[in-house]
Amino acid sequence: MKIFAESHKTVFVVDHCPYMAESCRQHVEFDMLVKNRTQGIIPLAPISKSLWTCSVESSMEYCRIMYDIFPFKKLVNFIVSDSGAHVLNSWTQEDQNLQELMAALAAVGPPNPHADPECCSILHGLVTAVEALCKITEYQHEARTMLMENAERVGNRGRIICITNAKSDSHVRMLEECVQETIHEHNKLAANSDHLMQIQKCELVLIHTYPVGEDSLVSDRPKKELSSVLTSEVHSVRAGRHLATKLNVLVQQHFDLASTTITNIPMKEEQHANTSANYDVELLHHKEAHVDFIKSACLAETKRCQKERGSNKTGDNHIGGNSREGTFKETVTLKWCTPRTNSVELHYCTGAYRISPVDVNSRPSSCLTNFLLNGRSVLLEQPRKSGSKVISHMLSSHGGEIFLHVLSSSRSILEDPPSISEGCGGRVTDYRITDFGEFMRENRLTPFLEPRGSLEIPLERAKDQLEKHTRYWPMIISQTTIFNMQAVVPLASVIVKEALTDEDILNCQKTIYNLVDMERKNDPLPISTVGTRGKGPKRDEQYRIMWNELETLVRAHINNSDKHQRVLECLLACRSKPPEEEERKKRGRKREEKEDKSEKSGKDYEPDKPWQESERLKGVLDREKEELAEAEIIKDSPDSPEPPNKKPLVTMDEMPPVEKAKGPMSLLSLWSNRINTANSRKHQEFIGRLNSVNNKAELYQHLKEDNGMETTENGKGSRQ
Amino acid sequence: MPTVVVMDVSLSMTRPVSVEGSEEYQRKHLAIHGLTMLFEHMATNYKLEFTALVVFSSLWELMVPFTRDYNTLQEALSNMDDYDKTCLEAALLGVCNIVQQEWGAAIPCQVVLVTDGCLGIGRGSLRHSLATHNQRSENNRFPLPFPFPSKLYVMCMANLEELQSSDSLDCLERLIDLNNGEGQIFTIDGPLCLKNVQSMFGKLIDLAYTPFHAVLKCGHLTSDVQVFPRPEPFIIDEEIDPTPKAINTDLEIVGFIDIADISSPPVLSRHLVLPIALNKEGDELGPGITDDTEDENSANQIAGKIPNFCVLLHGSLKVEGMVAIVQLGPEWYGMLYSQADSKKKSNLMMSLFEPGPEPLPWLGKMAQLGPISDAKENPYGEDDNKSPFPLQPKNKRSYAQNVTVWIKPSGLQTDVQKILRNARKLPEKTQTFYKELNRLRKAALAFGFLDLLKGVADMLERECTLLPDTAHPDAAFQLTHAAQQLKVASTGTSEYTAYDHNITPLQTDFSGSSAERM
Repeated sequence: MKIFAESHKTVFVVDHCPYMAESCRQHVEFDMLVKNRTQGIIPLAPISKSLWTCSVESSMEYCRIMYDIFPFKKLVNFIVSDSGAHVLNSWTQEDQNLQELMAALAAVGPPNPHADPECCSILHGLVTAVEALCKITEYQHEARTMLMENAERVGNRGRIICITNAKSDSHVRMLEECVQETIHEHNKLAANSDHLMQIQKCELVLIHTYPVGEDSLVSDRPKKELSSVLTSEVHSVRAGRHLATKLNVLVQQHFDLASTTITNIPMKEEQHANTSANYDVELLHHKEAHVDFIKSACLAETKRCQKERGSNKTGDNHIGGNSREGTFKETVTLKWCTPRTNSVELHYCTGAYRISPVDVNSRPSSCLTNFLLNGRSVLLEQPRKSGSKVISHMLSSHGGEIFLHVLSSSRSILEDPPSISEGCGGRVTDYRITDFGEFMRENRLTPFLEPRGSLEIPLERAKDQLEKHTRYWPMIISQTTIFNMQAVVPLASVIVKEALTDEDILNCQKTIYNLVDMERKNDPLPISTVGTRGKGPKRDEQYRIMWNELETLVRAHINNSDKHQRVLECLLACRSKPPEEEERKKRGRKREEKEDKSEKSGKDYEPDKPWQESERLKGVLDREKEELAEAEIIKDSPDSPEPPNKKPLVTMDEMPPVEKAKGPMSLLSLWSNRINTANSRKHQEFIGRLNSVNNKAELYQHLKEDNGMETTENGKGSRQ
Repeated sequence: MPTVVVMDVSLSMTRPVSVEGSEEYQRKHLAIHGLTMLFEHMATNYKLEFTALVVFSSLWELMVPFTRDYNTLQEALSNMDDYDKTCLEAALLGVCNIVQQEWGAAIPCQVVLVTDGCLGIGRGSLRHSLATHNQRSENNRFPLPFPFPSKLYVMCMANLEELQSSDSLDCLERLIDLNNGEGQIFTIDGPLCLKNVQSMFGKLIDLAYTPFHAVLKCGHLTSDVQVFPRPEPFIIDEEIDPTPKAINTDLEIVGFIDIADISSPPVLSRHLVLPIALNKEGDELGPGITDDTEDENSANQIAGKIPNFCVLLHGSLKVEGMVAIVQLGPEWYGMLYSQADSKKKSNLMMSLFEPGPEPLPWLGKMAQLGPISDAKENPYGEDDNKSPFPLQPKNKRSYAQNVTVWIKPSGLQTDVQKILRNARKLPEKTQTFYKELNRLRKAALAFGFLDLLKGVADMLERECTLLPDTAHPDAAFQLTHAAQQLKVASTGTSEYTAYDHNITPLQTDFSGSSAERM
């Protein structure tokens, strides 16, 4: 539907002249005697509404239905006309509700029957109505601003519904001519104005209303084009409920509405709470909700014209048999299906349309709407004489609004698809389903009120967060160690954050210390042995893999903030061994590299490299590389060098002889060497003494390092 | 989008085509050649498409009902007989019925009409149908536009010059126009020969049967996917924004929502999201799109063993009962979820919402959805026991706000009786009594129905006289007070008719009143 069709702007012009105070001559009994009351009381005389009351309540009902079904973009401007025009509201969205209109109408009050009829006229209202149609609505304004140079695409059409008591057909013609002239004039004005828009199309709906029992002085006339801009139709309607019925028909026409009657609604009887009777409730909604019925009605008709091929092949064409009788009536009847309790189901829904009950205050209506407003959904079934039941619609409320959902009941073109387990990645069985579920819950969305402090669009923030949370996210269990460890959770859950608090850092540090502790205690790690033969990597190798992975995770976030950087520093300082061993290892390694370039030492470094490179080069982790790197770790692990912490003294044991076997040695030196070696097996050597030059150790070495070299090679400084 | 191939088997299709070489071809053979090519393409690259084959002359026949078995379709091509004259209208009517019978009126279909451009003579010819188009009644409607969303592709076994020499081209163009412009006419470029027929069908394939490949992204987690059926471009508003919008080939997940919160939203269309493995040349090896040759089987097996984000996502969505919100383009969103076809088989499915900033009122504006970590406190609660959805609209609907409607007398009577019922239970029901009284007063003032106020005032005064001896003295006071207040309102004098004014209970002092009731 076009946004700026005639239905975008509706102007009500209701006559407020003295004769509208006349009674509609339809009596309402309001003093209904309740049973069990003392006999002999004469009920109060019935009262009757005035023409004005009938007009106002019918137009309010028109607005009620319209606002229920189109709370936005369908606007009403309400004008009453007597000696002048009184505009009761504006086109702004805030003014578009029943309460506002009711309050404004109360302020106007009923027409004064004693006012001078000579100075009162509906013409004032009609002129003002045309003026109102030229006024731009906020939606039109928005669309024009957005389209810039194409602003002329924004249409300005509208409808004037005028309820009056006309004197004759010629009086009606006079009113039409007046509207036409006024449009002509105002369009000229609007052409030279930025604030006004020319009226492209105007539908005038003149409703002549008169007391019941009188003869109408005005004849009905269907819609007629008076000019290229103006069409007009005349309805001559008796007041009272006839007028209300007319406006109900009109609101359906004007807003393309259709009616659905829900039948078989079980409802507790007021008097007998344990029995229930079945009730019907009629709802109005946009007619799109019946699109299947309308079209199948066409089908039923076209079917008759269908021709069939020769008798031997008729089988193909006998298709009328199981099709439903598709005659489209005034209302479509659908059967209530008592809802099941599990409401968490995603139906295939092709449309959802707001509803409005025809008889909003009746008990069946309010029972149904309250039931729905309390959060229950009701499936609706097409009544059929035979065959399987077809659920075609669903009633459901969302935040206090009830929608009629259209459910697809035809065959799916997606039936029998290949299962996801047959496709790419379908054979993999150890996806981190639960972890990703947790991830999804953390990345759920929530609405933010529009004027939000920060300038960033909330949805962009959501994307940002997803980016951060997935920088390092292995998809399968056998690809990761750290995410299989409960001990890592405190760090992993906060490191992805945009900013860390001091407490977060503390938690990260605690996590790292805890891991160091685990390593010292030689706790087993949940390393996958999938794809490796035998028992998998040794314990120390496992820790190396774990530390590498943890480093990868932390490195993926170091650019978030300085505090993230601090976590990395802590990690680098803590990972692996007490520093003296590091040092020694390093020294030993250097020598080894120099001397024989053994594969072993090379490999010690290698696995680290792909990680870091991918970090530095791309800033983000390339998934494939990651996989590669990980595969590598697992594969080459059995050949990796002996980690120092397992038999630290053995390494020490082997080194000194190499170092000292250079020159001739005295017996003393031989002896003391031996003693030293033996002793050193019993305790760890002090760092100071180990690194000492001529038995003098330099104190506070790290101060220099901190100041001098920001990033020590692989962070293996002496700081802990 | 299911396809109906509508093949002309009238005699004119047997006209010979002069081709150099020994064999003699008819136009029919060219058509079969083209269709064979189309079916082969679909069998390889568009396997999930349902296709039906209809042949027609003066009558029509459904040769092959909707199927994914392209062998059957191929076989049917070689079993076609030649019949009499062309009668297109009947065939199109047949297509209408077949499609609606199978798929209903909502599923878009592609109709591939294969003809030689001889559109029949006399009654039932297209010329005749078009000439009488304006004189038809509702029950004898021309089958176009199709009652379902459709594309009509006309494959002419003739070249442009030939069609232009008669008025065939005009007629066919009118046909497309009648289908609201949805469709296209293809003609053979140059002489009629197998090669040119191939290139014509090649164009159709490019236009309508190329698989839609995209990259599904969730931050750094990505997967190459095929989206089936192809998402079609969508026109938001013909007047304001007439250009069709197509979806991005980057499908970016922006966040997740519980199924209960998204709550069966209306969607434009549904699509399977099938992970594919792209090899270096850019060809895909994936499900449902490759031949079952051994080579590809082994390639499939390898692909099956490489972890894929789609499978992970699908698994978690299924377990958690959630959907992923995915951005399809500027102000266009959709959702990904797990769809079970049967107990064993389930799949990752994508539904497209209507384009626009706010496709679902109960979620609000999509751009205003943000991560829960930005909220002051978790809107889902610490124990995951609440939800920020659905959003409440600013104004309540009439059925949720106790509006007053007196169009039917019963509406008015109910409201009056409510007052009366409460009046008889004064002073216990003082609050409800005045609440109902004020509701009636407001409505009567708005509707200018002052007689009602007078009437109800009279009624309350009468009630006052009917009070039993056992009644609390306050009851009489309140009734009199209420009646008097209604009376002044019914005078219409402005100071008593303020809409916002409420009649308040009379302040009485019967100390410890209700307790001492006799």
